[in-house]
Amino acid sequence: MKIIKALYPPIKWKFWVILILSILFGIIIFIIYVSKAFSYLSDSPETCMNCHIMAPQYSTWFHSSHREFTNCNECHVPQDNILRGYMFKAKDGLRHATIFTLRKEPQVIRIKEEGKKVVHENCLRCHSDLFDEKYLSNYSNTIIAEHLNRDCMFCHRETPHSTITSLSSAPNARVPLPESAVPLWLKKIMNK
Amino acid sequence: MKWSIKQLVETKPWAGWVLFFITSVFVFILGLLASSIMERRAEAQFVYTPKVEYDPLEPRSDIWGQNFPKEYYSYIQTADTTFKSLFNVSDDEDLLESNPKLVILFAGNPFSRDYNHARGHFYAVIDVVKTLRTGAPNDTTPSPQPNTCWTCKSSDVPRLINKLGVQGFYKGSFDKLGHECVNYIGCVDCHDAKTMNLKITRPALVEAFQRLGKDINKSSHQEMRSLVCAQCHVEYFFDNRDGKEKYLTFPWDSGFTVEAMERYYDAFAFSDWKHAISKAPMLKAQHTEYEMFLFGVHYRSGLACADCHMPYKSEGGVKYTDHHITSPLRYISRTCQVCHRESEDELRNRIYERQKTIKELRTILENELVIAHFEAKHAWDIGSNEKEMQPVLQLIRQAQWRWDFVACGHGNAFHAPLESARILGNGIAKVQEARRQLQRIFAKYNNFDVKIPDISTKEKAQKAIDIDYEKLKRDKQEFMKNMVPKWLEKAKEREAKYYIKNV
Repeated sequence: MKIIKALYPPIKWKFWVILILSILFGIIIFIIYVSKAFSYLSDSPETCMNCHIMAPQYSTWFHSSHREFTNCNECHVPQDNILRGYMFKAKDGLRHATIFTLRKEPQVIRIKEEGKKVVHENCLRCHSDLFDEKYLSNYSNTIIAEHLNRDCMFCHRETPHSTITSLSSAPNARVPLPESAVPLWLKKIMNK
Repeated sequence: MKWSIKQLVETKPWAGWVLFFITSVFVFILGLLASSIMERRAEAQFVYTPKVEYDPLEPRSDIWGQNFPKEYYSYIQTADTTFKSLFNVSDDEDLLESNPKLVILFAGNPFSRDYNHARGHFYAVIDVVKTLRTGAPNDTTPSPQPNTCWTCKSSDVPRLINKLGVQGFYKGSFDKLGHECVNYIGCVDCHDAKTMNLKITRPALVEAFQRLGKDINKSSHQEMRSLVCAQCHVEYFFDNRDGKEKYLTFPWDSGFTVEAMERYYDAFAFSDWKHAISKAPMLKAQHTEYEMFLFGVHYRSGLACADCHMPYKSEGGVKYTDHHITSPLRYISRTCQVCHRESEDELRNRIYERQKTIKELRTILENELVIAHFEAKHAWDIGSNEKEMQPVLQLIRQAQWRWDFVACGHGNAFHAPLESARILGNGIAKVQEARRQLQRIFAKYNNFDVKIPDISTKEKAQKAIDIDYEKLKRDKQEFMKNMVPKWLEKAKEREAKYYIKNV
């Protein structure tokens, strides 16, 4: 409290302090609005499209059977625990945002080891029926052991994002890129 | 003044909050306005706005580059010479020095004088001017090479063919058009100036397709992304039949295999040169890159040259073709890995594995050929006659044609490893048969005393076949000092008159 008191501006400055703080407040609200910060709390795939370089990933998913049952987060974010999920999302998201802002993205994006583990976990989460005893009894023990030790993606590597992965591989795909930050009413005024 | 904001805020604190929120909203709207302005500015980057207008046959790429900066700036990176892979370099290192056996294999051919690694497109003109193969023309002696040599070196060629006609351009010695061909391969060689679509500008490819009964204009865009390269990166010869003079021709009439092209050449007993040691009528294979690519799995999977040598790139949401034409090994992360999910090291090793295997076979054939040439010389020396030697010389011709067909294309070992191995295997069989027949000739004359001189270095090998390298080099330096500056001056004068308009 003492520190706040010490920093408290003289009463004479009141008007300017209000002015500066309100400008700061306005800018912060604007940044939250223009970066769509709140959308990152959701599970909507459109959020991932905030970065246009995700277009090939979005469009390949959109044309796959997984579209009917999953969104990006269902596979790429841990789903066993809300806290772990948001922690993972925050860590991944901050790294992505940094790389995208610095324009350091590679031409071909490859999943990292940690991400791979999460995807594998999530494969098992939905496709657990492939591992129940009734199903496994069709196979010998060696085959079962081998299968359980392997990433699903080792074989199903084209599911669902197809064979070709480059920032340039889906240039004409129709994907929900972020819309203009300028509201329609302002555009109408500006175009007059 | 009685009324002031200061007073108002002091007497009614809620007024301070009103002021706070009104200003915040005002700043927020100001931000929206700012982002609208930014958006309009960003749009400009996506709209094509030409900066200059120029002639459709404009040879200078830097003029085109003003309108297409991304493509131009990536293209001039072909000037970079730093890249090295296991067997290839992007600098003009001396191949004769690292492998003096080549001097013997090309004895009698200008390649025995001077043979370097190929540099990027940026150096196309300077490298053909400075190589000893094009001789040292001056006012009295012309170059030993024809004008045809310029065809694949300069972006002035479309302009000159338009002016002189096709045969008119080819004929005459190399120095005749030296002052006209000064711009290295560039935009106009592969692009239509109006639409920027890919375009075939070299007649030899169009004519080869016509003879095969195909219309090159019906090619798809993906095919064109290989065919523009096939204008030059192919096997060719200079045709002197039917009144033609040094007419650039692709020998594809009976097919693209090494045997089919050999049949084509054999049909009119064509040979590029007579070997100085064995006297065999030789064929010189030249950068068979396109033809060999047709036999590889990547062609069969629908890929074009540009997919790996000029990969697509996205920058700031704009997709464009990287015009830095180079080894795909330089950027595995955006060439191989677009399709292959293995690590860079794994992919690089797979390529090296193929290259090492082909190199191994190539070296076996190379060593045998060197000996075969000297053995044939020995056969002549001990009195063997034309009739005895004819089948031997044919076998040597066939074997070296097979060796050269694989060796002359830098990417062959990777583009088509199986086809390369097949060709080299057949070549080894041919050279072994030649040497077996030579042994029978030696037996007949009862003289097995073959002499092979010391060819362990470039100097020794060139001395063995009577090449005065120092003199050739001196003459060349003279030519570079006296003739070339005159060419450039003349070109500068001419280019100052070209049509250019700033838009």
